Amino acid sequence: MRLCRGLAKYCAIFKAEVANSLVYPGDLASRSLTIVMFMWIFSQLWRATYRAAGSDVVGGLTLRETLWYLMLAETIVLSRPRLSTRVAEAVKDGSIAYLLNKPYNFLLYQMAVGLGNSIARLAFNALAGGAFIWLTAGPPPDPRGWPLALASVAAAWLIDFCLSAAIGLAAFVTEDIAAFEWIYSKVQMILGGLLIPLDFFPAWLRSVALAMPFAYTIYGPARLFVDPSIGRFVALFGGQLAWLAVLGVAVAMLYRRGVAALCINGG
Amino acid sequence: MRRELTFLVALWKANLLAAMEYRVSFISQIAGMMLNNAVYFLFWVIFFDRFQSVRGWELSDMFLLFGIVASGFGLGVYLFGNAFSLADTIAGGRLDYYLSLPRPVLLHALASRSVSSGLGDFTYGLISFALAGRFSPGALARFVGATILATVVFVAFLVLVQSLAFWMGNATMLAQQATNALITFAMYPITLFDGTAKLLLFTVIPAAFIGAVPAELVRQFTWPTFAALLAGAAGFLALALFAFHRGLRRYESGSAIQIQV
Repeated sequence: MRLCRGLAKYCAIFKAEVANSLVYPGDLASRSLTIVMFMWIFSQLWRATYRAAGSDVVGGLTLRETLWYLMLAETIVLSRPRLSTRVAEAVKDGSIAYLLNKPYNFLLYQMAVGLGNSIARLAFNALAGGAFIWLTAGPPPDPRGWPLALASVAAAWLIDFCLSAAIGLAAFVTEDIAAFEWIYSKVQMILGGLLIPLDFFPAWLRSVALAMPFAYTIYGPARLFVDPSIGRFVALFGGQLAWLAVLGVAVAMLYRRGVAALCINGG
Repeated sequence: MRRELTFLVALWKANLLAAMEYRVSFISQIAGMMLNNAVYFLFWVIFFDRFQSVRGWELSDMFLLFGIVASGFGLGVYLFGNAFSLADTIAGGRLDYYLSLPRPVLLHALASRSVSSGLGDFTYGLISFALAGRFSPGALARFVGATILATVVFVAFLVLVQSLAFWMGNATMLAQQATNALITFAMYPITLFDGTAKLLLFTVIPAAFIGAVPAELVRQFTWPTFAALLAGAAGFLALALFAFHRGLRRYESGSAIQIQV
């Protein structure tokens, strides 16, 4: 009962943020032009690549599957909450002190705000990117797999939240986290399979990438989307939950240590 | 001209001294950006390891292209870092500060901020050029010249799109999207695009002038390539100056009290 009441306030924050983000649909629509641009470049690049390879299937994926994979991968990344900057700003400008005395957990509050902000972006990006790929490459994968992919996207965002929060909390020590943020986003881009599916990697690098959490934030959901099956979903979702447990505990510990050492000057 | 150059050098010196006040942050931004670029470039290493060549482009071509784009971008954001926030400055009425001083408004506004990470991009670009396997004194001279011209195109394009704020008010979002498009397109082989797309990359989004054309000039000097790059740089610079000064006539502010830090 207490857990339900506890979750209810984060649901309310989440709903408020969703409503907030829908106030300017024109802004959301114009932002989704970015994904169309990326999809256009990718379709040119991969069309030329498949032609040069002289094969319809590369790494187990057809051109159409590769493009739908990249569409979902880009949608996940372009729509996700940008939490590290928010957390770091709150630490740097001292506004964390204002948030700490509220009757909610700072990290869960940030998560609810971030997810609420991202859900509308996800819909707009998926619509714009999906429409482009449908027109240029063909119809999307089996719709029966979409709910599974959506569930794995939610888990992917939570893993990304933990990693981003850890980077944001580094501001307790380093103040400036820009460099960590850039490197994280690029490592995720490569080892997560944002620009190129992990199926195209050399075997040794693919094994390394699959053993890390980044693959569960992009590659897993995008691969499940183009090749849905219960078996693949169970393996992916299980892996995501395991990483969430590990990273969740690590972030909670980091947060506790950071708050204990926090020193706010002025008021 | 000489006075303006002395003024610019003084601004850059002041920016450097300000950045060096936070030495650890300054160095970490430079090193972080180099590492960031290196990790991004792994995409092309993996790609060409698998596919060897696409439309005549190989890994060494990508090293060269990336070298030019990173150096040109880095030089631009380090020397004229405020180009990124010019639209905000215009919309927020903060041009008042520059208008009240006896120095060229645009030059002063652009150079009054340096983005430290730009030095990381610039340095990484040099390393990428060295790794392209085309190093020779002649190629280095061409690389320096081509990078400067690419920087001119890049900064001019930023001024052009950010100056839309004179007419639109809030042009930040549009300017951001246009800049992202410019950089993104510049980092892909131009042979992927043909027809109308290629025309767009030489005009509306001049990504060819900050990537493919300067890279071609470094690869092999030809007068037509040099003339095309020079014309592109001069054309976009003239257009940017025209747009900014035309827009400046429409500029108005609320005479708010502002502090320039």
